[in-house]
Amino acid sequence: MANEAVVTINTDADVVAARQKGRELATELGFVSTDSTLLATAISELARNIIRYAKHGEILIAPVQSGDRVGITVVARDKGPGIANIPLAMQDGFSTSGGLGLGLPGVKRLMDEFHLVSDANTGTTVTIKKWKR
Amino acid sequence: MRETMEKLQDQYTSALRNSIVGMGESALQQAYELGRRALADGLGVLDMAAMYHKALAAGLPRDSTPEETALMLEAGASFFAESLSPFEMTHRGFRDSNIALRHLNQTLEQEIKRIAHALHDEAAQLLASVYLALDEVAGNLPPAREHLLKVKGLLDLIEGQLRHLSHELRPTILDDWGLLPALKFLAEGVTARTGLFIKVEGESAPSLSPLLATTLYRIVQEALTNVTRHAKATQVKVTIQHELQTLRCSIKDNGVGFDVSSLSARTGERGLGLIGIRERLNSLGGSPSLVSTPGHGTELVITIPYTNSQEA
Ligand SMILES: Nc1ncnc2c1ncn2[C@@H]1O[C@H](COP(=O)(O)OP(=O)(O)OP(=O)(O)O)[C@@H](O)[C@H]1O
Ligand SMILES: Nc1ncnc2c1ncn2[C@@H]1O[C@H](COP(=O)(O)OP(=O)(O)OP(=O)(O)O)[C@@H](O)[C@H]1O
Ligand SMILES: [Mg+2]
Ligand SMILES: [Mg+2]
Repeated sequence: MANEAVVTINTDADVVAARQKGRELATELGFVSTDSTLLATAISELARNIIRYAKHGEILIAPVQSGDRVGITVVARDKGPGIANIPLAMQDGFSTSGGLGLGLPGVKRLMDEFHLVSDANTGTTVTIKKWKR
Repeated sequence: MRETMEKLQDQYTSALRNSIVGMGESALQQAYELGRRALADGLGVLDMAAMYHKALAAGLPRDSTPEETALMLEAGASFFAESLSPFEMTHRGFRDSNIALRHLNQTLEQEIKRIAHALHDEAAQLLASVYLALDEVAGNLPPAREHLLKVKGLLDLIEGQLRHLSHELRPTILDDWGLLPALKFLAEGVTARTGLFIKVEGESAPSLSPLLATTLYRIVQEALTNVTRHAKATQVKVTIQHELQTLRCSIKDNGVGFDVSSLSARTGERGLGLIGIRERLNSLGGSPSLVSTPGHGTELVITIPYTNSQEA
């Protein structure tokens, strides 16, 4: 099975690289093209948050398998300021930066699995999975 | 709006061009960012389609071979999908909250039933025991009898109001007698509590489905609550009409009115009444329309598609 990739996120160009990796892996695993688009969208959202709130971080993209299902997992992590109130951050429309507050709840809806760990000491890690249909 | 759209259009056209000349992922990321911005600017999916169409017309070279054109169109399609993807996030959000609202409605309807029963049965039982206690006091304390009779009179009034309220909440009259009598019953209760003069008019509907009847009842109930809370009106007219394949219900007051356009601007602590009305109607293919001018009262008009033989 394909290898995992880690993309360091500092600038917008890195977002393109992470999306590229995600799309390559999706194509390799035979994802339908709309799901590749959704995956790229999720990567964009998580990367945007890293750049906006933590400045630096990384995104890991790897194939996953469970029984006879295959899928892709994306882990976006940073050592930034962390999220003070996670339930609030997951609410539609909540933003501390005057944004639409669409990113995190949006990503959750696009993916099959979503997991968010965050605190002020260690930063933020978002783990998502999308299974192949 | 127009200006932002023109600016977006220029960027969209040049990004699409990049995509067509094979700039791959970075062009797609641009498409995504543009979609994100369009969303923030309040544009819709149809605006995006129009934008794509224009960009394509401007971006496709005239002298390309059919094969080249086909390849470019393919690149264009991915680009388009990418720029729509932010809308997919919001779309799924709306779908979720719609489901949640519908669920909430059902829960509320059950809760209302429970409260109606509690009012009707439990409060009535409590009152009955108060009557007994009073009788006992009257027996032991003959001089208080006169006084206690007055208290009993008040209790009778309370009991009557409680009964009326419980029937308004869960109008079995709706099942037994139909919409129009139920609305008249509701209006009597509101009049008794508030002094508002309410006229209910209309043809009695043959065979309204229970769902349709309950929906209309709840909507009129909320509309009357709004009138008593906000309108400072003295008169309300409730009208039910059957037109060809539509059911029309109007609730019109002579109160202070308000600026309807200010509603959509309000976010955060805005009320749920009108939203709830729209949501109830949505599931039946109906729609509300609100006409109000400050100083000239408010009319809420509900239309619901309807055929005589309709069954829920
Ligand atoms: N990596 C992160 N580090 C610290 N805080 C974060 C991080 N990601 C999200 N947040 C917090 O969670 C909030 C919600 O994030 P979300 O992506 O849903 O919305 P947004 O970024 O504010 O707006 P939008 O994504 O629509 O531009 C953010 O406003 C921010 O406070
Ligand atoms: N008949 C009316 N006359 C004057 N203003 C009205 C009337 N009906 C509605 N409004 C105005 O429209 C607003 C929205 O009504 P809506 O029923 O949605 O919310 P609400 O009554 O404020 O709160 P809720 O119904 O959630 O308790 C009201 O706050 C009021 O300003
Ligand atoms: Mg965000
Ligand atoms: Mg209301």
